[in-house]
Amino acid sequence: MNMQEIKENLITHVKANFPEAAEKEFDGNRLDFNVDKQCIPSILTYLKDRLGYIHLSHIACVDWLEEGEFEIIFIVWSPEEKMKVFIRTRIDREKPVMPNIDMIWRQANTYERELREMFGVEFIGLEAPDEFLLEDWGGPPPMRRDFDTEAYADDTFWHRPGREDALDVREEIIRRSREEIPDFAKKYSR
Amino acid sequence: MINDKNSQKIVDIIQNWSRKHSIWVLAYGTGCGAIEIPPTMTSRYDAERLGVRGAATPRQADVLLITGYLTTKTLKRVIRVYEQMQDPKYVIGFGSCTINGGMYYDSYNTIKVLDKYLPVDVYINGCMPRPEAVLAGFGKLQQLIAEGKANGATKYKENLEWYRGNQKKIIPNWVMPEYNW
Ligand code: SF4
Repeated sequence: MNMQEIKENLITHVKANFPEAAEKEFDGNRLDFNVDKQCIPSILTYLKDRLGYIHLSHIACVDWLEEGEFEIIFIVWSPEEKMKVFIRTRIDREKPVMPNIDMIWRQANTYERELREMFGVEFIGLEAPDEFLLEDWGGPPPMRRDFDTEAYADDTFWHRPGREDALDVREEIIRRSREEIPDFAKKYSR
Repeated sequence: MINDKNSQKIVDIIQNWSRKHSIWVLAYGTGCGAIEIPPTMTSRYDAERLGVRGAATPRQADVLLITGYLTTKTLKRVIRVYEQMQDPKYVIGFGSCTINGGMYYDSYNTIKVLDKYLPVDVYINGCMPRPEAVLAGFGKLQQLIAEGKANGATKYKENLEWYRGNQKKIIPNWVMPEYNW
């Protein structure tokens, strides 16, 4: 089977069991599914047990601050079909709660602990000690986009004086190479 | 026992001279800078000809190299290691991260100014310092030892309260053993 056939086959199978899953195709060996968060354990079990996606590559979180949502992404890989599947779901940013999947893949536990600590996403029934990477952490989850890391560093740590007059070399580089500053980068200029 | 002042001076000179030529470095690396230690130690730059060599445990070591940024989590371990080391002991801050935070100046989890938490005898700047700079730093440390000026450990003992206060400010859950000096 070539890649296209594998993808079509996969879409048919997933759609038959999870009709509400919205697929999105990409070039190469990648396929995305948007699903509801309740379906996550069942769709992952289905992919793992029936379709050969036995490897969990990653669990990631994207902070859609403007939309008030977190996007949780599970990446699974099939070594036979050489295909990776992204399972995406959106959850509420105010009360981020997710079903726990560490009974499907044991290693998911580590990723879930990290997301709990860095984004404050709660996984129901996750059994793990509270602290993972941040010991004695008192602030808000640091990977959220509304966490101001510079302000936090300013009032937690000392700074050695002398950084204030650091020059913004960006202007000079742009003048010499005659490039434009992209709009999104402008707000970082001093 | 030597009591009179002049002979004490002579003993100090001999002591410092011998200390200066056997700097044993604790093999403990933090941050990215530890990657410059192997080239410094091995054949090309060969730090051992200056008496600089690795030691396996804190109790055998004289120098604690802080080779880069320190997260608050690592700082705990580093303080513990430093307090386990026996006199004479020196600290070398290595790279701009230990001096003013370097490129991690706005990080939520790394300390910016090392000498608020541990007494630093020599700073080596650079991000990261090349082996030549490291050797220059060791040379400076040797010079300070010979002059009897590398007294970070004494400073630490005398101002323990101040250092502890700073350390406890960012490590609120202080569950570390207190070492008797
Ligand atoms: S000074 Fe540079 S090389 Fe050293 S730890 Fe910091 S970022 Fe890494």
